[in-house]
Amino acid sequence: MKRRQLIKAAATFATAATLSTTALISTGFAADDVFRVVVLGGLSAKGILADNSSTSVLAAQAGAEIVNKNGGIGGKKVVVEVLDDQANPTVAVTKLREAINSSSKPDAVLNSGPSTIAEATLPIINQAGILSFNIGPTKTSWDAAKFPLNFDLSPAPANYASGFLDYIKVKGYKSVGIIHGNSAYGEALGTLMEKTVSEGGVTVTAKEGYDYSALDMTPQLDKIKSTNPEALIVDGYGSVVGYVLQGIQKLGWDIPLLGDNSIAATGLISKTPPDGVLGTDAVKNLVMQVFSSTKYDPDATGVNEAVATMKSLGPIKASLILAYNYDALALMAAAAEAAGSTDAKAMAAALETDAVTTAAKTEILKKYNFSKESHAANPSNDSFAFIAPSELKDGQYQ
Amino acid sequence: MTLVWGGLALGAIYALVAIGYNIVYLSAKTFNFAHAQLLMLGVFVTYTCLMEWRLPWLLVIVLAAAAVAVVAAIENLVAVRPVKDVHNILVTTLGASTFLDGTVSLIWGNQPLAVSFPLGGNAIDLLGGRVYPIEPILILLVIVIVLADFWISRRFLVGLALRAMSEDPEAAQLRGVNIRAMAFGAFVAAGALAGAAAVFVGPKTFAVSTLGDSLALKGFVALAIGGFGSMPGALVGGAAVGLVEILAARYLGGEYSNPMIFVMLLTVFIIRPAGLFVHSSERTV
Repeated sequence: MKRRQLIKAAATFATAATLSTTALISTGFAADDVFRVVVLGGLSAKGILADNSSTSVLAAQAGAEIVNKNGGIGGKKVVVEVLDDQANPTVAVTKLREAINSSSKPDAVLNSGPSTIAEATLPIINQAGILSFNIGPTKTSWDAAKFPLNFDLSPAPANYASGFLDYIKVKGYKSVGIIHGNSAYGEALGTLMEKTVSEGGVTVTAKEGYDYSALDMTPQLDKIKSTNPEALIVDGYGSVVGYVLQGIQKLGWDIPLLGDNSIAATGLISKTPPDGVLGTDAVKNLVMQVFSSTKYDPDATGVNEAVATMKSLGPIKASLILAYNYDALALMAAAAEAAGSTDAKAMAAALETDAVTTAAKTEILKKYNFSKESHAANPSNDSFAFIAPSELKDGQYQ
Repeated sequence: MTLVWGGLALGAIYALVAIGYNIVYLSAKTFNFAHAQLLMLGVFVTYTCLMEWRLPWLLVIVLAAAAVAVVAAIENLVAVRPVKDVHNILVTTLGASTFLDGTVSLIWGNQPLAVSFPLGGNAIDLLGGRVYPIEPILILLVIVIVLADFWISRRFLVGLALRAMSEDPEAAQLRGVNIRAMAFGAFVAAGALAGAAAVFVGPKTFAVSTLGDSLALKGFVALAIGGFGSMPGALVGGAAVGLVEILAARYLGGEYSNPMIFVMLLTVFIIRPAGLFVHSSERTV
């Protein structure tokens, strides 16, 4: 009986091995030439984070598909493994350690955020000598001296703030108020926004924070209103966006609203009533900072190919702002080609050169500007666009 | 005055959660930590019935009450009745709340959904402040519920039986009260009330899968301030929490809202450990 079971198991294993080898050969890759990419994402997290993670994971899978079509990374077929970290650092650390200690150690790790996950996992990834890309920047994740193998894909709050300052100057606003959430990102954005805008010669009349579990933002808005700013910078996502818009309407406040990209990731503002507030007075004064790729452009063939590939793999639940992982694959392909190797250190060194980031076929952000000292994305201000809310279709505003 | 209206409306929502906690506490001397999630479920049922199926508003109230009552009954049978120790019920109902959070996310997704109100969504002037029509209605609703409880608990047999159970379950049982059935009925009734009230909550909060978490803790603080088991206490506790939250955010800053609520809670506990509306009794042993 035991012998029979052994033969059965061996036959099953042999069949599986043959099938997977055949599959790899049929796509032009040798059986042992696999580049393993682990994607950490809070697929079963609470609230809007789950949709964001789903989009991040989808973007990584689409990026892998495109890269594989073009010869893989350093000639190796990219295999994506998704780990659901529930947006919980403890879960992320546990699952990541399991993956690192398994027989198939990952060649790269993609952190899909939030920043708490990066905070917990980056030291482990770094210690294991694995290349990583991160969409939830922390205070030090960009620092090449601390994390030489990590690259931040999401622009830092300072980049966003710089984009805001450009827009504020174009519009000629002399003073602004700021309302932001109490998350690590919200706090950092609020502080940097105040600093950047003030240094740019624009008066910040008030800066108010709110708790993400709060159900009414009227008090903070009333306080800012009393300082008479010419425009209001708003950070927030999910239902908070609704509470801010409710509060502004309740106060009868007619003021230009400049939303950050987390507002653009909130479904409420891209849906018409009854589901949302698109087309109502609530959003008549709202413009949002997005990436140029987040706005649909029929001529942007690269972005459109990325969207089509993502769509073919599953529904795009959040805005394309969360699709940085697509770019991670393109960056790795370009780095491996330039380095002539898939060694993490060699690829990291290549990514620090302008030639590689220019050659990389990234689409969500056109150009990443990593350097030897800073692994922050540092995109130029023309990567950003300020748009009015419109229908969100397949992750893009129309 | 705009902020006062806002604080009272917010407090009314916390009071609705606290009343739900109270109904279960009075009948079973334990808490249903999934009550805020039942209210959240009611908001989502309201969204589906009102916004997607376009059903008449009054019918939506009935359907939301019925749907949440059924879920509460199932919760009771699965997470409460099989548990012998009342302390463990705190854990099992917490588990039920997590289950409801996940279920709501799976069915309705994670994006906030707008819920309309028949009297409109435009702010109006009222007694020197600006309010949305739903806000004074919420305040009125919670007052009516507390008055109705007062009336029912004194004029109807079921209310008297519930009061008797809350004071001395054994004596009530000896007088013929089926305390097991009453506890189950109270649990389901609290669910039905949450479902019906959710129709009024949704237009202020949106239907969002994190609503239960936002309401659970502050609802419990409202209950603790008023005193466990006291309906007027839940009303006053809710109003106090709502007002402190809003006024602290306006005059001290948003980061002071939650700390000030807990400062108030501690102050109440120091002055009146049993809560504002409950007298602690002493007996010689």
